[in-house]
Amino acid sequence: MGSIRMKKSTMLLCLLPGVVWYSLILLVPVILAGYYGFFDWSGGVNKIFVGIENYIHVLKDSVFILSLKNNLFLVVVCLVGQIGLAFVFAFMLNSRHIRWKGLHRTMSYFPAVLSAVVVGFVWSFIYDYNYGLLNAFLELIGQGDKAQAWLSNNKIAMVLVAVPLVWQYIGYYMIIIMSAMSSVDPQIFEMSEIDGASGWKKAVYITLPLIKNTLIVCVTLCIAGNMKIFDLIYSLTGGGPGNTTSVMAMYAYKSSFLSYKMGYGSAMSIVILIISLMIVGGSQAFMRYFTKEDER
Amino acid sequence: MKRKKKFHIAYAVPNMVLLLFSFTCVFPAIWLIYSSLKEKTEFYKSPVALPENPSIKYYLSVLSESDFLKWLLNSMRTSILSLFFILLIGFTIGYILSRYRFRGRNFVYAYFLIGMLIPVHALMVPMYIMFTRLGLNDQWFTLILPYTALSLPTAVFLVESYVKSIPMEIEEAAALDGCSRLRTIYMIVMPMCRPILITIGIIQFFYIWNEFTFSLILIDSKELMTIPVGLTLFKGQFSTDYPKMMTAMVLAILPTMIIYFIFSKQIIKGMVAGAVKG
Repeated sequence: MGSIRMKKSTMLLCLLPGVVWYSLILLVPVILAGYYGFFDWSGGVNKIFVGIENYIHVLKDSVFILSLKNNLFLVVVCLVGQIGLAFVFAFMLNSRHIRWKGLHRTMSYFPAVLSAVVVGFVWSFIYDYNYGLLNAFLELIGQGDKAQAWLSNNKIAMVLVAVPLVWQYIGYYMIIIMSAMSSVDPQIFEMSEIDGASGWKKAVYITLPLIKNTLIVCVTLCIAGNMKIFDLIYSLTGGGPGNTTSVMAMYAYKSSFLSYKMGYGSAMSIVILIISLMIVGGSQAFMRYFTKEDER
Repeated sequence: MKRKKKFHIAYAVPNMVLLLFSFTCVFPAIWLIYSSLKEKTEFYKSPVALPENPSIKYYLSVLSESDFLKWLLNSMRTSILSLFFILLIGFTIGYILSRYRFRGRNFVYAYFLIGMLIPVHALMVPMYIMFTRLGLNDQWFTLILPYTALSLPTAVFLVESYVKSIPMEIEEAAALDGCSRLRTIYMIVMPMCRPILITIGIIQFFYIWNEFTFSLILIDSKELMTIPVGLTLFKGQFSTDYPKMMTAMVLAILPTMIIYFIFSKQIIKGMVAGAVKG
């Protein structure tokens, strides 16, 4: 150990550039946002100190609350749709009666490497009224009268937004879950088969508990990912019709960059930060608590 | 005999489900590609049909009339330079955190951990304010700053846990042979970390190539945009010319598609490792 000692100054020199760079991008903006949140400010020279008024307004803002609800809606849909379906597909793929496993892995993961902007545009084409795939498909199966301008329909717009999101990441979670399944001793499955466990029993009572930790990682990734969603909404609906499909990041963007309410946008950023950390942290604590109960 | 046949049908169902699913995963990309080869009128007649006389006319017009090649170049420059800094800085910090137990070590470790939990989009407004204040926005190097910083946590943690698995004896031997500390780190340990550095490179490349939010708010001039933002500009311009828009989208996903289908095994492995450990 002694021979690989390093001078304190050298060590500092190695750490410093990275830490400074990282702080400049992460820490300084958070502090700035907290500060500017106290002002009525449109980005110019004039700033009026308004105390915590901005913060209170954010929490009472009906569009912000709607956006938060939309974020939470997406979290729930994606937890069920992405991770649920990913688990089912991964379990199927793990069976020895499935062909072309490599092909399935490669193809299903593909959407995950596409940019959300492209995915948003592609799906806006799919939902398009005149030339969209969805309406063309309905026509094909003789349900042409059900064709409509999908994304303009308030009632189902949020569901339609969730579909591409789920679609894009099923493969991603499927691969993660599969890698966890492959590290489970295959003898365990063989023994359960001898004991007469059927396919679904095997999935629920044996596979599920054994890959618990990986599932916790997936759930955390999924929640964190959906709290910060922005690109897809921007390119698919722009938050519309009206504010129906707005999410928190979208609303912060609109208030700051389209309405030039910089002070308000800053306050909103801080609120988003706190809410997201609370939800991610809370869900973590919740899952750890329950999985510990299990082990007793 | 009957029993055997029944079993086959039981297995056909999951096979069919998976095939259908895999198909839907790649179909939109395929649809984009063959639609981009169609004439406008042909596309409007039937959006699903295959092109009758495929032509690359739109490709030529997109490449010659728009700033697409510039955006491509910007995306490439930003990615390469960011990756260089991510790997260099991430490796250095990860190495030191892994090998030395100094005062403040746990603080630095936790400090980077927090970065993984912060929802980056909450930083959108304050980062814009800071960049404009410092005059750092809308420059050719602007995007390298956030991309590098936001990728550091993953890089640091992956390197930190990887270096633990490298025996210390090698470095001690190098020290006995008179190799300086810094030289040992960069000339001996860093090459040994190649697998994890490649993993980090893959994960962060896709992140940077597809990143949209910061690119949208920090870059104003058309000449400095990256592909995802350029594409939104394109959509505004050619919103009625579907095949042309689709051509631009094909060009946008082409680089990632080629890289993905050549290296899919390593990419999948790397991204999964990054997700689970990070």
